[in-house]
Amino acid sequence: MLVMSGINKVYQTEQVQTHALREFNLSVAEGEFVAVTGPSGSGKTTFLNIAGLLENISSGDYQLDGQSIVGLSDRELSRLRNEKIGFIFQGFNLIPDLNLYENVDVPLRYRGFSNKERKQKIEHALETVGLSARMKHLPSQLSGGQQQRVAIARALAGEPKFLLADEPTGNLDSLMAKQVMELLENINKQGTTIVMVTHDPELARRAQRNIQIVDGQLCDFTIYQGGTVNNDTDKNAVA
Amino acid sequence: MFSYYLQLAAKSLKSTPITTLLMVLAIACGIGISMTALTLNHMTGTNPIPEKSSQLFAVQLQSSGKTSEWPTSDNVPFQIAYQDATNLMRVMPKYKHTAMYKTGFSVRTLEPKFAPLLRTARVTTRHFFSMFNVKFLYGAPWSEKVDENPTLQVVINQDLNNKLFGGGDNTGKEIFLDDKTYQIVGIIEPWHPKPKFYDLNNGSFQSTEQLFIPLVLSSTYELPSFGNNNGWKDERNNTFKDKLASEVLWLQYWAELPDAEAKEHFQQFLTGYVDEQKKLARFERDDARAVLRNVQQWLDYNEVVGDDSYVLVAVSFMFLTVCLVNSIGLLLAKFLRSAPSVGVRRALGASKGQVFSQHLVEVGLLGLIGGLLGLVFAYLGLTLLKNNFAGFDFVATMDMVMFLSAPVIAICATVLAGVYPAWRVCNTLPSIYLKTQ
Ligand SMILES: Nc1ncnc2c1ncn2[C@@H]1O[C@H](COP(=O)(O)OP(=O)(O)OP(=O)(O)O)[C@@H](O)[C@H]1O
Ligand SMILES: [Mg+2]
Repeated sequence: MLVMSGINKVYQTEQVQTHALREFNLSVAEGEFVAVTGPSGSGKTTFLNIAGLLENISSGDYQLDGQSIVGLSDRELSRLRNEKIGFIFQGFNLIPDLNLYENVDVPLRYRGFSNKERKQKIEHALETVGLSARMKHLPSQLSGGQQQRVAIARALAGEPKFLLADEPTGNLDSLMAKQVMELLENINKQGTTIVMVTHDPELARRAQRNIQIVDGQLCDFTIYQGGTVNNDTDKNAVA
Repeated sequence: MFSYYLQLAAKSLKSTPITTLLMVLAIACGIGISMTALTLNHMTGTNPIPEKSSQLFAVQLQSSGKTSEWPTSDNVPFQIAYQDATNLMRVMPKYKHTAMYKTGFSVRTLEPKFAPLLRTARVTTRHFFSMFNVKFLYGAPWSEKVDENPTLQVVINQDLNNKLFGGGDNTGKEIFLDDKTYQIVGIIEPWHPKPKFYDLNNGSFQSTEQLFIPLVLSSTYELPSFGNNNGWKDERNNTFKDKLASEVLWLQYWAELPDAEAKEHFQQFLTGYVDEQKKLARFERDDARAVLRNVQQWLDYNEVVGDDSYVLVAVSFMFLTVCLVNSIGLLLAKFLRSAPSVGVRRALGASKGQVFSQHLVEVGLLGLIGGLLGLVFAYLGLTLLKNNFAGFDFVATMDMVMFLSAPVIAICATVLAGVYPAWRVCNTLPSIYLKTQ
């Protein structure tokens, strides 16, 4: 599903050069629920952005769903991102001018679905997160937990294979965080691969597999919670 | 996708009403002013009689003295002398050609209480009307006989007919022109060629005359010319008779020559006439000659679309540029403020190209609104010109071409202005905006 081998990411600013990821290797199999932890500034968000094709890599190879993304054009990357990847952010990042229906509509528009298909998918996605009664509300009229559920609905609407979440519960109280976590677990049960960055060890423990990033590198410390999961963090693993 | 972008554009413009208003106003001002200038330029450059433009010829004679200087590019005077006019009119009956000049009268009805009106009049022959496609509402031009035997007949236009009688068919009635009674034989429809190509004396965009009377009356009643009288010879012209026999140049002369053959024929005739006058030692110059120019050539020759009107257009477009540069600043600020949303769209699968298009559609919509408002501004500007400056009446009227081009120019200009801001916003790195809200 996701295979990263020897990835380096260097941020170059005028004064400093930051090696955000160095010789980073990871492989995630289809259907896995991976929790990523690590100290602040260690490169978790950078990893997620690269996994989600939002940032290019300085060197190395990244294969998404069997296809190498090195050398693809912006258009091809955007298309892959649109079809295969759903994003959930710590800050929800709903578009403030658009109501819930329109927010969930955004990825579907770029996908080129017909009006009918879109309507059906949006309604289904909002139903999944339990917010179909509020389609015409603006994001500002919702609680944080509700906003994050809309963001999940938006990430799911296009039925991506792959869900990337960057501290999705970071801005939520523990009750709401639990609800969101349950939602993610349900989604994972339906077959969607999830990679979630979190600071909360309790939530991390609920995932099938835990990895830790320290100083831009993967620390092999995997917790298995039953099920069959590949024990592979080396570069030649196959998804 | 376009309709989606349009929806987003409308939403976005509504979400920042003040910025939107400022940008629309800036564009509208720029478009309004440049459209006003363009309309003036366009209308002054329009052919006043397109259907006959290449068949009507202004006739010029190089009849002046050896050392005379004229302000024309070929140093040929643009008017002719009365004796040449009468000589030319006598021959070549196969073609319509006529001399003419402008005079004026105090006009009133036979009603004793009627307050006299001062009106300009054209002194010419009956051919004038058919040559220049002047249409009659009532009656007809005076007859051929009237062109030969002085008869007090007059053709008036609809405006004057309304002023004098309140409209209606008043042919056959008599009116006073100064102290003589003339019989009305025809009333013409409104006729306002712009520029007034047949007589460019005293301004190219003057109104047409309201009265037309036979040229033969000129010598009998000594009707003075209200146009330019160009003298080059040291003559004593004490009386009107002296003037008629003099070398003073004060009449316009036009010929209708339907095809190349006719033109050739008429040119030969004129050349013959010039040679004859040379033999008589009346025409002194070695380069004495006759020149024919069709309407467009005549307008170009007289530089009717002056450079000032291009300067005006250039200045107004510079103003438009300033307005657009202002809008670029506002757009840039607005777009960069929306960068977080753009980051989200990028994360959800929008390509750079799609983000770019989305923003250009927004800019295009802005241009359309600005353009339409600009059209209103231009209309107001032209109305203002019309109401405050005589002679602008017909020039300051927008035709369909101008009407349609305003929004198109506005959209093109704003889209051009929007390229940079849209490019900037589509090139921002999405990940920067996604970390926190
Ligand atoms: N756009 C950027 N330009 C320069 N340096 C950057 C940029 N983004 C991240 N970095 C640097 O890269 C390193 C990794 O950052 P990253 O955001 O991936 O950390 P993180 O693990 O997500 O931290 P946190 O837990 O605080 O969110 C940091 O040292 C950071 O300063
Ligand atoms: Mg982070």
